[in-house]
Amino acid sequence: MKINQSIQTTPNFQVLSEDQIERIYFSALDVIETTGARFYHEEALELFKNSDAVITDENLVRVPTSLVERALQSHPNKITLMGRNGKRTVKLQKDEVAFGTGSDLPFTYDRETGERRRTCYQDVANAGKVIDHSENLDFMMSHGIVQDVPNPQTYDRHQFKAMVENCTKPFVITSVDGEGLQDQHKMACIIRGGEEEFKLNPMFVVYIEPISPLMNDRSAVEKLLYCAEHGIPCMYTPCPSSGATAPASLAGMLVQSLAETMMASVLTYLKNPGMPLIMGGVTTVLDMLTTTYSYGSPELSLASAANTDISKWLGLLMFSTGGCTDSKSLDEQAAIEASTSLYYAFLSGANLIHDVGYLDSGVNASLDSLVMCNEIIGMVKQIGKGICTEDDYLAWQLIDEVGPGGEYLTHDHTFQHWNEWFMPKLQDRSDYDTWVREGQKTMDIRIKEETNRILEEHKPEPLDDKVLEQINQVIDDAEKRHSK
Amino acid sequence: MADKLEQLSEKLVAGQIEDVQRLTKESLDEGMAADDVLQKGLFAGMDVVAQRFKNCEMFIPEVLRSAKAMQGAMDTLRPELTQAEADKAATVVMVTVEGDLHDIGKNLAGMMMEGSGFKVINMGIDKKPQEIVDAVKEHKPQILGMSALLTTTMPKMGETINALKEAGIRDQVKIMIGGAPVTEDFCDEIGADCYAPNAAIGVEKANALVSG
Repeated sequence: MKINQSIQTTPNFQVLSEDQIERIYFSALDVIETTGARFYHEEALELFKNSDAVITDENLVRVPTSLVERALQSHPNKITLMGRNGKRTVKLQKDEVAFGTGSDLPFTYDRETGERRRTCYQDVANAGKVIDHSENLDFMMSHGIVQDVPNPQTYDRHQFKAMVENCTKPFVITSVDGEGLQDQHKMACIIRGGEEEFKLNPMFVVYIEPISPLMNDRSAVEKLLYCAEHGIPCMYTPCPSSGATAPASLAGMLVQSLAETMMASVLTYLKNPGMPLIMGGVTTVLDMLTTTYSYGSPELSLASAANTDISKWLGLLMFSTGGCTDSKSLDEQAAIEASTSLYYAFLSGANLIHDVGYLDSGVNASLDSLVMCNEIIGMVKQIGKGICTEDDYLAWQLIDEVGPGGEYLTHDHTFQHWNEWFMPKLQDRSDYDTWVREGQKTMDIRIKEETNRILEEHKPEPLDDKVLEQINQVIDDAEKRHSK
Repeated sequence: MADKLEQLSEKLVAGQIEDVQRLTKESLDEGMAADDVLQKGLFAGMDVVAQRFKNCEMFIPEVLRSAKAMQGAMDTLRPELTQAEADKAATVVMVTVEGDLHDIGKNLAGMMMEGSGFKVINMGIDKKPQEIVDAVKEHKPQILGMSALLTTTMPKMGETINALKEAGIRDQVKIMIGGAPVTEDFCDEIGADCYAPNAAIGVEKANALVSG
């Protein structure tokens, strides 16, 4: 009989100690009490005015800690997302990790001509297909931005349709403004069978961002208030560039980001307590040679993991970043940067890890990158399985049975355990001669072939005709309103 | 009857050792010819295994499980086969050459050949050229499979071939070589008949050697 055992079933990774987290948190509260944030929205200012908050200089809002702490307590610490496939697959709760794409990339390389061109409806549809097929991608953001539609003010409804027709998994959506969000919510509720059902089984999380440092524009606030009113999960995710729109010290960037997120917590609490709020932040550096907002820096991974530590301490969920690159093509740099960020984001225990498939610092979309990252995530998740040390796994009896010079290949134990390993799909482990005989295909070629195969063969479960009709109606109505 | 053989093939592919054993016995008890059981049941199944392995639909532990089932069935079948039928199976002598204690690759190749119907004699590791010559004389195999993992022990394969020449029996046996540092060029250099970069190709080439 064993006694006093503790077992670590997964690796354990932490960047910040509790004392460090508290220092960041107290500093962020100081920022909220002394500096405050600006809100460019009348209803928001009205809500603050009727609370303990103080407004000066027309729209500069400062909030006492007592109110901030009340607001922070009001958010649920668990949300389960359900795609249109009816499966509650994405569990947002402490240390549960899901991976997905980023959104709204303006460019892509045409798969036929190789030419860099603007992303269109079909690109988003294709991304949906690839995500729907990829076992390690759990949620979808649009990947590309739909630009071949009549009106840039209503593109988001078309984008939603491209996503929902091709991907049955849950989404993180973006929207033009509050009205665009409302239309997408309407479409999701049609699929879900009503607003109350959506609340129990949300089909998406809404992506909203402040403007760092400490500014909240009209459309962001509109969306926040809509989410609060309807109980829709949303993330308020700052995109500070360290050294430009946030302090160059990572701790300072985290302090500011947390202040920005907590201001959103207070606002939604004043509107309607209980909105599921997800912390976030693409917390990275401004490259001081090129002024690029870097998607491949190690600081992005480090600051994001630290931010995740903070989120867990606060009892909030976390939207993090991985699988992206500053490289212009899917090359060695892309693979290095995507692997690094995916690995650390996973280890940190962030709940939604997005931006898989971003090339060119968040400018260029790449389906091939999604396919590559699907493989990387498989490897990363394998590391997350940790080491089991139960008797059958220690296998000393087996070692004794096989003995010096023996072999394990034909043993039942091998047959029972080998498929606990990661099986690569795209990585080549063949011998040299086989590799030559099969055409000397390098990874980039194998990735392209796999992407083409998915696009050709994968048929997502079709959307019900009647539902599609209603979705088209919502889109037509929006077009009519905006053509006036 | 045909149903039973089909079932036997399926169980073999699935690596159900006991079912394969049972179905083989039942087939013989029902009066089926041993050679039919072998050809239409077991070999048919192993052909599927080989194909699936090639298509990456089956993996080594599964292939070996099928091979193990095959071996069990063969033990039951062998006494029932006529001498002519039994002689159809080619013999392979497998060995790791002198100075080398590595044998997992060679054993794997041997197991997979057994699964494909070869009679495999595994000499083990660290065998001198003369010991190998003696084994070839004794077992009269159609194929001699030699393996080395180290660049330092590779030359022993050439020395063994020379020893076979000196003994005047080089022409009586086809020689296959393998091991991580071995190449096609090296195979030509030492005068072996073929080189297999992995176990599955080893089986393929062994079949080609005995049929060609």
